[in-house]
Amino acid sequence: MNMTTPIEQREFKIVGKSVKRDDVLEKVTGEAQYTGDIKLPGMLHGKIKRAAIAHARIKSIDVSKALAYPGVKAVLTHETVPRVLHYGSPHPRSASCTKDQYILDHKVRFWGEGVAAVAAISEEIADEALDLIEVEYEALPGVFEPEDAVQLGAPLIHEVGPGGNLVLDPVRVNRGDIDKGFAEADFVLEGTFAGGRPHPAYMEPNVCVADWDGSNKLTFWTSTQTSFMVRGILAEVLGLPLTKVRVLVDHMGGGFGAKQDLFQHEFLCALLAKETRRPVKMEFTRHETFVAGRSRHPCKIWLKQGFKNDGTLVARDMKLVYDSGAYGSHGPGVTIVGTTAATSLYRCENVRLEGRCVYTNTPINGAFRGYGVVQSYYALDIQMDEAAERLGMDPAELKLKNVVRAGDIAPSGHPIIGHGLEICLKHGIDVLDWTTLRGRDRTPDPKRPHIRKGWGIGCEMHGSSAYPGIKEQGNATVKVNEDGTVTLLTGAAGLGTGAHTALAQIVAEELGVRFEDVGVIHGDTDVVPWDIGAFASHTTYLVGTAAKMAAEKVRAAVLARAAMKLQVSAEEIDLSEGKVFLIAEPDRSMTVSEAMGPSRGIPAANIVANGTYEPTKSYSFAAHFTEVDIDTETGIVEVKRVVPVHDVGRVIHPIAAQGQIEGGIQQGIGHTLTEDYVIDKKTGRSLNAGLVDYKMPLSMDMPDIETIILEAAPDPGGPWGAKGVGEDPIIAIGPSIANAIHDAIGVRFHHYPITPEDILKALREKGA
Amino acid sequence: MKRMVEFTVNGEAREMAVNGCCSLLDALRDEVGLTGTKKGCDVGDCGACTVLVDGEPVNACLMLAVEAEGRAVETVEGLQPGVDRLHPLQDAFMRHGASQCGFCTPGILMMAKKLLDDNPHPSDEDIRFGLSGNICRCTGYTKIFDAIKSAAREMEATRP
Ligand code: FES
Ligand code: FES
Repeated sequence: MNMTTPIEQREFKIVGKSVKRDDVLEKVTGEAQYTGDIKLPGMLHGKIKRAAIAHARIKSIDVSKALAYPGVKAVLTHETVPRVLHYGSPHPRSASCTKDQYILDHKVRFWGEGVAAVAAISEEIADEALDLIEVEYEALPGVFEPEDAVQLGAPLIHEVGPGGNLVLDPVRVNRGDIDKGFAEADFVLEGTFAGGRPHPAYMEPNVCVADWDGSNKLTFWTSTQTSFMVRGILAEVLGLPLTKVRVLVDHMGGGFGAKQDLFQHEFLCALLAKETRRPVKMEFTRHETFVAGRSRHPCKIWLKQGFKNDGTLVARDMKLVYDSGAYGSHGPGVTIVGTTAATSLYRCENVRLEGRCVYTNTPINGAFRGYGVVQSYYALDIQMDEAAERLGMDPAELKLKNVVRAGDIAPSGHPIIGHGLEICLKHGIDVLDWTTLRGRDRTPDPKRPHIRKGWGIGCEMHGSSAYPGIKEQGNATVKVNEDGTVTLLTGAAGLGTGAHTALAQIVAEELGVRFEDVGVIHGDTDVVPWDIGAFASHTTYLVGTAAKMAAEKVRAAVLARAAMKLQVSAEEIDLSEGKVFLIAEPDRSMTVSEAMGPSRGIPAANIVANGTYEPTKSYSFAAHFTEVDIDTETGIVEVKRVVPVHDVGRVIHPIAAQGQIEGGIQQGIGHTLTEDYVIDKKTGRSLNAGLVDYKMPLSMDMPDIETIILEAAPDPGGPWGAKGVGEDPIIAIGPSIANAIHDAIGVRFHHYPITPEDILKALREKGA
Repeated sequence: MKRMVEFTVNGEAREMAVNGCCSLLDALRDEVGLTGTKKGCDVGDCGACTVLVDGEPVNACLMLAVEAEGRAVETVEGLQPGVDRLHPLQDAFMRHGASQCGFCTPGILMMAKKLLDDNPHPSDEDIRFGLSGNICRCTGYTKIFDAIKSAAREMEATRP
């Protein structure tokens, strides 16, 4: 298996260089085609009628006026669409999903849920027709907080599942002997923590276009991270073989995890197109991306840990409750990953964890960068800081003492191979001269006496791949064309991370051709090899290895063909930078183009090979060092400087990797200080579903970020030791800010977002 | 009721029939067929639809197409000085990794062009302030700032 294979060392020609991204060329010229840019002849526009009630039974629904409205071509309700119970999340039949959705149901489970859909000749007409649909509801009592939802006698939101509004049976992890651990402890810390409901707010609202042909085949363009899962679930629910569903996605305007579900509007778009026999486009408004999109699971955590006076952690007892919203979506996966993650980060032999996931009558929470771990590591890392305070120790020292190390059992259950957290921490401590920084004079600047400065550290680790929850498979096809150029076919989605460029770099490096000679074909389920989807920070690790395997095979075949032409044996020749040459006599050579092209008696040919990879998992690590300024008059926390130190194994494209880290920090600053999608606790109504009221950090709010990437601990499971990077930054930044706030004003916050009101209130209480 | 409206887009005269309520953004995307300009919110909150009208940046989603009558509209599609040449900003965005998903990019490029046209030597604060109406959710802006500074230097060096 991948843990025993040594990592091949070589002089890299392409890997590790920030080559130009082809997809970015299209983006800066405006040529890149996103799903919303598609316009087909005769195309109709679809819109969804959304419930203005959070929990209700539909008594009747009258669409006659809407149907009669000029320009309206079709209206669908729960009475006219197939009733098939289906998965919302993309991993059918794996542990991380739950079957609890219908395309349209006779019940409403959250404010804003779709109850009918219209197709019309224009968006305006479709919109106007929505108002003509008359729905009569029988209101049901709603539950908006997990605490209320699990009370005996609480209204039940679903008929399926384990009951009691649980999405899945509680996730329990026991290691060692928790009672023995606490008995050995010199002191115990106990606290409750709470995370809000941050929303991914990708810039491209969800959008899809459906078109059926005369053979009853559906062509479906959609902004998704998981096109093959969309194909699978659509086919299953619509009763079609996979050959009759083709899913296409070229460029997409971000996803951050949340574009992994199969959304209600996607089914409805396909059905409206079928009903009208015309192409239909359905595009979310920004309001709908909040209401009908997916956010991070709000979470309540109780954490109790026992420590020895020398700082050793001896017991960890933790209970987590994730709020799933009205449907399961990624609730099971998030609960399993977020809960089991707490076995690790800081080593502890005696661990007892319990994670629950609860339905509420609120908008659906789903996958989002940092998948359940943002919540659990926020608590772990802050309590570590508290323990350091109690011990009178530098938190950096205590964290260093306790961080996981090589050989420790990872959350996935196997020993960690590439372990880089210790190195990241040490590196940050050195470059910042942390000890001096902590011991600095704390007298406020007389010119700005109301400003308090603080520094904090946050640590994290995160897996590349969703193993063991999902046994993943990565695929790639590599073709060497008759002119020596190379085509890589991949199912990996192009979220904007630069994944396709990294894959092309890997192929070029392994095969021995120029980067410019590799073209990438993606985004068409009828053409490219099957892909599990772009999530779990795994594309470079998983698909990258598959691409490398395929490239290795075609390389051998190219060498064999060239050997024949050069009339030597394949062992005598090598291939580099598009040239095949005799090892002993490098001047005797031919280009790959000559090797592939025609010569006397040998016609031109293609060489094709596939790579399939089924890995376990690697872990990436990060320590973030963060400086904040707190205005004690306004309560505003300004993040001034972040030094993120990451171990991502082998770096394939440095600028793309840095970009992931900086973007993750931006989102994490938002989560920690300003972002919270607020649902009214009495009605379930959204209170800030828009980009002004939902406040994200923008250009004026960004700190100086000095990204440091260490290739500290390559993992043999990834190409030349490469690991994931997409999710890590968003996990570490949160606790680093909370810890810096404590350093600045001496107040501990256990929740996010930490608002100016919270700061002012805490300062008042502290002063009193 | 549709109305005829005429304006130039990237120097070319365009004439079209639009509804009175049609935004400049929808007119550009649906009538002119230039989809480079993006719709991130349609209510003036995100800056993805930023274009220049008579040289001034506007949110095209907030301007009616009929208000553009007789005016000169510039979009991302008009940035390239020649078929095979990129504007220094486009080139710098590529080199510095200033575009990830790219959905904010056309709007940010137009805003940055305006910024550099007015102020060839912007300070860091000028750049931050200049982009304060453009949301980018992918990059953390760091690389966008780098790219704009680099393009400013490049334009300075090649200025006659
Ligand atoms: S689309 Fe115009 S500002 Fe968002
Ligand atoms: S690059 Fe994705 S929003 Fe800016």
